[in-house]
Amino acid sequence: MSTQEHSPKFYETMSFKRRMKKMFVLLLLILGSIVILSPVWWMISTSLKTPGEIAQYPPSFLPDSFQWSNYVKAWQTAPFTRWALNTLFITVCVVIGNVVVNSFVAYGFAKIRFRGKNLLFTLVLSTMLIPGFVMMIPQYMLFSKLHWINTYLPLIVPAFFGNAFFIFLLRQFFKTIPDEMIEAAKIDGANHFQIWWKLAMPLMKPAVITVAILSFNGAWNDFLGPLLYINDEKLYTLQIGLQTFKGTVQTQWHYLMSASVLVLLPVILIFFFFQRYFIEGSNITTGTKG
Amino acid sequence: MKRVTVLFISVLIMLGMLAGCSGSSGGPQEKSSGDSSDQKGKVTLNFWTFWGSETRRPVIEKMINDFNKSQDDIYVKHTFLPFGDIWTKNLAAISAGNPPDVIINDINSVQHRAKNNQSTNLSKYIKDDSFKDNFYPRLWDTVLYKDQPYAVPFNTDTRLLFYNKKAFKEAGLDPNKPPKTWDELEAYAKKLDKKSGDRYERIGFYPLWGSFGAPSWLMNADNGQGFLSKDDKVQINTPEKLEGLKWLKSWNDRIGQENVNAFKAEFGSEQSNPFIAGKVGMWVDVATFYTQIRDFGKDMDFGVAPMPAKTEGAKHWSDGGGFVAEVPKGAKHPKESFEFIKYLTGEKAQSYWAAKNFDNVANKKASEDALSKLSGNDEMVYKQAVDNLQVTTMNPVPADAPDYQNKINPLIDAVLLGKETPEKALKKAQSEVEKSINK
Amino acid sequence: METAYESAKKNKQAAQKEVAEPVKKYRIKSLRKREELSGFLFISPWLIGFVALTLGPLLFSLYVSFTNYNITSKMDFVGTQNYQNMFFNDGLFWTSLWNTLYFVAFSVPLTTAGAILLAVLLNQKIPGIKVFRTIYYLPAVLSGVAVYLLWMQLLSPSTGLVNTALSWFGVRGPAWLFDPEWTKPALIVMKMWSVGGGMLLYLASLQGVSKAMYEAADIDGASAFRKFFHITLPMITPVIFFDIVTSLIGGFQIFQEAYVMTENGDGGPVNSLLFYNLHMWNKAFEVFDMGYASAMAWFLFVIVLVLTVINLKFGKRWVHYGGGDEK
Repeated sequence: MSTQEHSPKFYETMSFKRRMKKMFVLLLLILGSIVILSPVWWMISTSLKTPGEIAQYPPSFLPDSFQWSNYVKAWQTAPFTRWALNTLFITVCVVIGNVVVNSFVAYGFAKIRFRGKNLLFTLVLSTMLIPGFVMMIPQYMLFSKLHWINTYLPLIVPAFFGNAFFIFLLRQFFKTIPDEMIEAAKIDGANHFQIWWKLAMPLMKPAVITVAILSFNGAWNDFLGPLLYINDEKLYTLQIGLQTFKGTVQTQWHYLMSASVLVLLPVILIFFFFQRYFIEGSNITTGTKG
Repeated sequence: MKRVTVLFISVLIMLGMLAGCSGSSGGPQEKSSGDSSDQKGKVTLNFWTFWGSETRRPVIEKMINDFNKSQDDIYVKHTFLPFGDIWTKNLAAISAGNPPDVIINDINSVQHRAKNNQSTNLSKYIKDDSFKDNFYPRLWDTVLYKDQPYAVPFNTDTRLLFYNKKAFKEAGLDPNKPPKTWDELEAYAKKLDKKSGDRYERIGFYPLWGSFGAPSWLMNADNGQGFLSKDDKVQINTPEKLEGLKWLKSWNDRIGQENVNAFKAEFGSEQSNPFIAGKVGMWVDVATFYTQIRDFGKDMDFGVAPMPAKTEGAKHWSDGGGFVAEVPKGAKHPKESFEFIKYLTGEKAQSYWAAKNFDNVANKKASEDALSKLSGNDEMVYKQAVDNLQVTTMNPVPADAPDYQNKINPLIDAVLLGKETPEKALKKAQSEVEKSINK
Repeated sequence: METAYESAKKNKQAAQKEVAEPVKKYRIKSLRKREELSGFLFISPWLIGFVALTLGPLLFSLYVSFTNYNITSKMDFVGTQNYQNMFFNDGLFWTSLWNTLYFVAFSVPLTTAGAILLAVLLNQKIPGIKVFRTIYYLPAVLSGVAVYLLWMQLLSPSTGLVNTALSWFGVRGPAWLFDPEWTKPALIVMKMWSVGGGMLLYLASLQGVSKAMYEAADIDGASAFRKFFHITLPMITPVIFFDIVTSLIGGFQIFQEAYVMTENGDGGPVNSLLFYNLHMWNKAFEVFDMGYASAMAWFLFVIVLVLTVINLKFGKRWVHYGGGDEK
C-alpha cells in the first residue's frame, strides 16, 4: 500500500495532515464556542452592571464599571448560604441514590436472565411516558398522607427507588459487557452482586459518572419539587431563592444574574473536574465480537 | 487522585448532613428565635404571598408585624412563593387538605375558583353590611360569586397612556394636550414617527405594545363591553368591535409587520423599555410603570393621560386587574383568617402599602389618603390612576367558559398577520365561543 | 385395554427416566432459580418504588380521565366523555397534536445527529479539550427563563444574531418567533444549541470504542469517513438507541420553552406553539379540568408507547451490544 517511490513531501506526511485536521477541528470548536458562550457572556455582563445601565438601550457590551458588589449584595438579600447548604444536602443524597440504585437495577435488566424481564422493562420505560404534572397532584396527596410535606423526603426518597431514564441509560452500557466476562467471573465463584460492584461498575465508569453529573444537575436545578413540598422558607433551595429577585413590577436583573452565576458555578465545576474520567478509554475494549 | 475524590465526596456529605440536620430539626422547633415567644397559645396563620423582592417584602412584613403586635390570639407567619407557581402549589395543597390560611390571588379569576370550590365563602364572617363600601364597587363586584363574597380586594391596576413630552415638542405637538380620541392618537403617532430611510428610529405609537392587548382595544371600541356580557351573552361580532379590529390592523399595515416585529424582539428581554429609551413616543401601561420611568428614565419629561376614546364623547375605557386576599377551601381557621384579611384591606394597612409601593389599593379611603401624601410626578400619576378607576372595567374569567379567549386570540393573530379578514374572524370567533358556552 | 396398558407403561418409563437423572436436573433447576431470584433482587428497588410511589398516582390519573375531576371538589364518572370531547369537540387538541408531531419529527433526528457529531469532535486529543467540553456542555445546564428571553433577542428578525449571520451569506432570515410558519423551526434551532446534554452520553459511549480497532483500520488505510461509519457508529448504537427513544419521549413532552416564549402559554402566533403538553397544562391548571387533561395524557401515553415498542422491536435489528444480544 505504502509503496510510493518518491519520498513524501512535508505536506503529504501523515503528521502534517493530522495537524491540519486538528487545526480545522480547533477552529470549528472555537467558532462554536462563541455562539454557545454568548448567553453566558450576557449573563455575566448583566450581573456586573448597575440597574441603570441594564435598562439602557442599546445594551452595552461591557459594563461601564464592574459592580462586583452585586454578587455580595445579591447573596445577602436573603439567607442564600443556608439555601445553598440545603440544596447541597438534597443533591448529594439524590446523586448517591441515583448512582447506586439505578446501576444496580440496570445491571439486573442487562445481565441477568429472568422471566418477564422484557415486559417489566417496557413498564420501566412507560413510566416516562406520563407527563409529570398529571401525576403531580396525586403524588402530592400521597406524600401528604405520609406526612412528608415540609420535609426533604419527597425529594430524596424517590431517588433510592430508581429512575427510568437512568436505568435505561445504564442498561444500554451494561449490555456492552461481554457475557463471557461474566461467565468467567461466575466460574471463579463470584455472585451477581460481586460482579456488579467489582466488575461492571469499574468498567462502566464513564457511564456512571455521566449519571452522577446528570442527576447532580437535575437535583441542583430542581424547582418544582422543592416549591411544592417545602413550606418553610428556612428549608428552601437555591432555585426558589433566585425567584425572590423577580418582582411583579420590576425584576432586579443585576441581582438575579449575579446570583444565577453563583448558583451555576458548582454545576460547571463538577462537570469540569469529573470529565477526567472520559479521557483515555478507562472502559473495556468491546472489540470482541458480541 | 482517587483519595481526593473520596475526600471530596465525604466533605460534601458531611456538609450536606449538617445542613440537613439543622434543616429538618428546624421545622417545628427552630421558631424559638425572635417573635416565637409571643406565639404561645395563639392561632398561627400561614400567609402566602409572591412579594419576595427587596422592595415589596419589607412593606408586607412590616404590615404583618404591626398586626402581630396588636393581637392577643392570632400570629401570622408569612411565606414567600414565586409568582404564578404559588397558585399551582396552592391547588395541590387544597387537594391534599393542608392549604395556607390566607393567600394572595388573582382578582379576575375569583369566580372561577369559587365555582370550583377552591375558596371559602366569606359572607359568614363579614358581619358588617357596610364592609363592602370600603372598596371600589367594580372591584367588589369581581369577588362575588352567586352574590356571595369569596375574597376581599387588595390592590388593583389600571392602564394609562404615557407620552414623551420632549418628543411631543420636537414633533410640534402641544405637550399639555395628549390625544383624546383614536383619530387624534393616530394623527399624533404619525407626527411622532421618525424615520431614516426605511428604518424607524422612533415609532410614534403602536397599540399592541405595552399592556393593552387586542381584546382590551375592542372593549374600548365597544363602549366598555367585553367579549362576554355579565350574563355570559357572547358579543364578539359587533359592528364596533369590527371597526376596532380593522383599526388595529391598519396600524400593522401602515408601520409594516416587519418593523413591528423588530421592535418587539429587541425589547423582548424586558430589561430595557422602548418608551423609556425614547424609541416609542406613546405607551400604554399600568400606573406602576411610572416607577420604572422614575428609576431608569434619567429625569425623562413625560405626561400621563386616560386611554383615548374611540370617538369624541365616548368614555375613555380602560381595563384593570389586581389581587385579592382569599381563604383557600379547607383552611383550618377561617374566622381568624378573615380577621387578618380585614386588617390587610383596612384603611391603615392599605394606605401604608399604597404610599410605600406606589400601588393602587382597593380601599377607597386609603387610596385618597395616599394621594394626599404625594407630590410632583408621584401625585400626577397617582391621581390619574385613581380617577381612571371610574372608567376601568374588570375582566373576570367566566366561570362557565374559563378558556374562551383561546378560541378568539388565534383568530385575531391571523387577522393582524393578514391571513384572515376581520369580518370572517369575528364571525367565526362568535360562533365558536357560543358553541363552547352552550355546551 | 391395550391403550390403557400402553399408556401406563409409558408413564412408568417416564417416571423411571425422571428418577434416572435427578441430580443433573436439580442442579440446572436450582441454578436457574438462583438466577431468577437474583434478577428480581436486582430490580426490586425499582419494583418496590413503582408499586409504592408511582402505580397509585398512575392508576388514579387513568381513572380520573373518565371523570370530571376538577382537583378540588368534583370527581363524577362521566364515561368516555373526555375522550369524545377531545376527538370531536376540541379543535385545539388537534392543533396541539399536529404542532407536537411536527416538532418531534424534526428535532429528534437533528439533535441526535448534532450530538453525535459534537461528541466525535470533542473526543479528540486537542489542546484545551476539557475547556471545550465544558463550554459545549454549558447550554444543557443553562435553562430557564433567562435563556429563553435571550433567544428571543438572538432570533430578532432584523437585528438578531441569527439573521445577521444569515445575511452574511446573502440569506434573508425569516421573522422566526413572529411568523407562525417559523415559530417551530425557531424552537428547533434553540434545541440544537443545547445538544451538549446528548453529547455527554455519546462521549461516555465513545470511551468504549477500542483503540485497537482504529489502529487496525489505519493500517488498512481506511478513510476517516469509513472509520466513522464502520467502527464508531456501530459501537455506539446502544446509546444512539437510548437517545432516540428518550428524546422521542421528551420531544412529545415539550412544554417549558413554549410556556415561557409565548407569554404565559397562550400558544404563540395563531397557536403555532400550542404544544400538546401546553394545551394539557392550560386545561389542568387554568381551567381546572383535570379529567380532560388526564384523558389527553393517556392518549399521548398510548401514542408514545406504541412508538417506543416499535422502536424496541426494530432496535434489535440495528443495535449492536458488545455483550451478546438477547436470546
